Amino acid sequence: MNHCRSWEHGWSRRRMLGAMAGGAGVAGLGGILQPAAAEEMARNDKQILLIWLDGGMSQLESWDPKPNTPFGGPFRSIPTALPGIHVSELMPKLSRQMKRLAVVRSMKTEDANHSSGVPKILRGQPRNRGVTYPYLGSAVAKLMGPTESGLPPYVWVKPGNGGFIAKHAGFLGAKYGALALGDGKPPANLVRPDSISSAADAARQELRRKFNRQFADRRRANFNEANSYVYDVAGTLMKHVELFDEAKLSEKDRRRYGTHDLGRHALLARRLIEAGVRFVQVTSYGWDTHGDNFNSHASRMPKVDQSVTALIEDLYDRGLDERVLVVMMAEFGRTPRINGSVGRDHWPNAWSVAMAGCGIRPGTVVGETLPDGTDVKTTPYDIGHMFHTWFSAVGLDSAEAEYMNGTQPLPIAHDDMHKVDELLI
Amino acid sequence: MVWSRSSLMRQPLVLLVACLAAADGSNLVQAAEAPLHQVIDRLVESRAGKQPLAAMSDDAEFLRRVMLDLAGRIPTVAEARRFLGETAADKRFTLIDSLLSGDDYPRRMQELFHVMLMERRGEHAEWTKFLRYAFNQNLPWDRVARAMLSPDATDENLRGAAYFLTARLTKEGAMAPVDVPGLTRDVGRLMAGVDFGCAQCHDHVSIEDYKQVDFQGLHMIFENMQSRGGEFPAVTEKVMTKPREFKSVFTRDPRTTPLRIPGAGDVSIRTFPKGEEYSVAPDRKAKRTGVLKFSPLRELAGGLATGKNPLFARNIVNRLWFVMMGRGLVEPLDLFHSANPPTHPELLDRLAGEFVSHKFDIKWLLGQLARTRCYQRSSRLPGDQPLSPRSSYTVANQKRLSAEQLFWSTLVATGEIDRVKPATDDTLEKVVARTESLVELQKQFLKTFSNPPKEPEVDFAPTVKGALYLMHDQAVLDLVKPRPGNLVTKLAAEPDTGKLSEALFLAVVSRGPTTADVQVVAKLLENKTGAARIEAIGQLAWALLASTEFCLNH
Repeated sequence: MNHCRSWEHGWSRRRMLGAMAGGAGVAGLGGILQPAAAEEMARNDKQILLIWLDGGMSQLESWDPKPNTPFGGPFRSIPTALPGIHVSELMPKLSRQMKRLAVVRSMKTEDANHSSGVPKILRGQPRNRGVTYPYLGSAVAKLMGPTESGLPPYVWVKPGNGGFIAKHAGFLGAKYGALALGDGKPPANLVRPDSISSAADAARQELRRKFNRQFADRRRANFNEANSYVYDVAGTLMKHVELFDEAKLSEKDRRRYGTHDLGRHALLARRLIEAGVRFVQVTSYGWDTHGDNFNSHASRMPKVDQSVTALIEDLYDRGLDERVLVVMMAEFGRTPRINGSVGRDHWPNAWSVAMAGCGIRPGTVVGETLPDGTDVKTTPYDIGHMFHTWFSAVGLDSAEAEYMNGTQPLPIAHDDMHKVDELLI
Repeated sequence: MVWSRSSLMRQPLVLLVACLAAADGSNLVQAAEAPLHQVIDRLVESRAGKQPLAAMSDDAEFLRRVMLDLAGRIPTVAEARRFLGETAADKRFTLIDSLLSGDDYPRRMQELFHVMLMERRGEHAEWTKFLRYAFNQNLPWDRVARAMLSPDATDENLRGAAYFLTARLTKEGAMAPVDVPGLTRDVGRLMAGVDFGCAQCHDHVSIEDYKQVDFQGLHMIFENMQSRGGEFPAVTEKVMTKPREFKSVFTRDPRTTPLRIPGAGDVSIRTFPKGEEYSVAPDRKAKRTGVLKFSPLRELAGGLATGKNPLFARNIVNRLWFVMMGRGLVEPLDLFHSANPPTHPELLDRLAGEFVSHKFDIKWLLGQLARTRCYQRSSRLPGDQPLSPRSSYTVANQKRLSAEQLFWSTLVATGEIDRVKPATDDTLEKVVARTESLVELQKQFLKTFSNPPKEPEVDFAPTVKGALYLMHDQAVLDLVKPRPGNLVTKLAAEPDTGKLSEALFLAVVSRGPTTADVQVVAKLLENKTGAARIEAIGQLAWALLASTEFCLNH
């Protein structure tokens, strides 16, 4: 097992930074440079749904198949709704959605080392300024804030345990971390017991706030802010308890999305988006197919195909496609070369990312790889280009907007990169 | 000695350490012309320069802080009244000494070191027993560390120390192999303050001092060892015969290294003819592991856990400083290297030197830290001055409470202990151990307020989970219901709002109420009688329990 995980460097840097900047190691260092822009954002109703295939989905078994080549593997390619465009036979349903999707086949990123690619990609890998950047969800939570729903702006649906994952927020401060719903389950104790009336609850919470205000007087503010924030979030979540009531789901939806983890989590993600969560991330683990790549993809891809198709259909049926940006990606693709364990290793040199919805030009395929898939043939795009593109798609001007880290202005996406116009409406 | 950045930055760790050792080993252990706590204040205050200092804490603020740090809980109302009423000029020093020799101290230290060293990996009765023994006896830290690094299965009091190693050698599911590199990394982090984790496969890419050879030379010790299994944690070692071979994934050059101990350098491997490797031969039938003539673990324990190793003393004094002062002199706590110098280099040298010359006496060091003005300042900012950095120690840093501190304090605050405690003078923990509902409550507190396994508990990180637990969990709500003997019942019997406020605030937040506090209480209770009044008193108690003030050591 390897321990070279760059979030740990990042974590360390954040703590050092907090110390240098006057001790806001807890929360709330970041600000946005232009307050006018911030106000405008409060009225922005755009949302983002990120499907993250942790470990690295193979581009060759999905968006960029190379059948009948030395590295192509056993699967065929199939035509899609877009004339001339083929995808892997492992995604028949998504192939029929291609007119709604945009795919970049010319992703070329830097980090193939172990899993350090995960934080790099999720942070948009901006230029190194000694600052730990937020993950995309935390960035959007900061830049756009909660929607009018007041729901926590960054919710992460994942297998395993839940909790509040502060470290995603980087220098922005813990407050912008992810509320993680382990296995899509609501946090424990979400429902107020009958023994406390809502009036009694309101009374005790008001007392708590009064005592906190007094305590915070002439003390470093961030501790009380962080503690008060979790109570606010708890209160908001309680108002949406029905989101977690699986009995309210239709049998048809369950069938369409699938009863596997990814299906259930994607369906919850749709409901969270409908309820007004600004940024939802759904994670599927276990894509690091160093061994037995083809059987793994044969069992995994149909789940992606099923649940993501259901999601795209629903967004379009409900008119949410104009408001919700959907992105599906991983930290890198997989090597064209097939290794001795019939696996594919990490390959950041040429891989694919897919997106749809808000601001995205539907039915677009950008870029091309070499015939054997080993490298990008057209203009390569880095994750920084994608961050500019996605920010633009939801109405953020990433060339203008900046974070404030204390007195240090910081670009929200890599300052040497730009949005990809072909992908945008 | 000043840790010169320019001259040392490009030196590998061993060289760096050699420089430190030369300075630390003897010169720094100077005859103490003044007690350490005075030296600390001089160094901290001269460094703070013109930055305004916060006022000294008042007695209530000090009492709560020092009890949380040295007893792991807030004071009872009786303890608070006694201390606040005392008039002796040296009453703070007297209190510090009585806490250090009190019943709560070994429990608090056991909990503190458990969290620090195990990072919520799990529990083991033998490990708990070892820690409790160590702090009951006030064993020197080098002795404690050697017990963990080179466990002695024949010593019933200390054998549980092996859990430090064995807990890190468990399989975590079918897909996850036993994480030996993780153990190597943790030994570096927790015992020497150096995180070699990122130097496993190549030299560290951003930290000049951390070399792959440092990792590999330490790692071979743990690759040569395994968990023995059985009723108590124990390890066995194989005979080590040859140096470790490794390659950097960058250069691919084959290299070898003998044992390599953080802060101490290479130890060559001594080999013996076949059949003569043991001074006491292993005996399978008697389940005896035997004693190796060359035991890599024993070499590690001897080379790392000693006053001659500068990293060893610096790591622990920095961690204990962090516990008391809310910030490390080196942060992150496990990233000692020449490009990350301490905020107060002379102070760190002094702490390490005196700790060694006081024979690694943790109790002595904590007593000195608690005596400082630095520790005893208020956490309230001096006026509306701009914020000084946390590392200036001009204002007391607010600190996170551990799940354990929160649990014991909640029992004290709500009078739950008074409710279940019979007329004996049992310790808190004995009362809990024989009260089923409280054992369960303790379990829930630990589950709710601890970090996930392997995440160091250093930052204040309140969670929605914690908020919802305090808001809705029935066992918590029961604590603020009127039940015979508990706080709410006692308060309900008090007709005078002023006295009621005083008792309430002293019980929960260990201080008297402010005028504004009394007004809040008076307004809430105005015109309320009977059940409505009692319910309102419960709300007050709950609101203080859930307040930021309660969940911090401020």
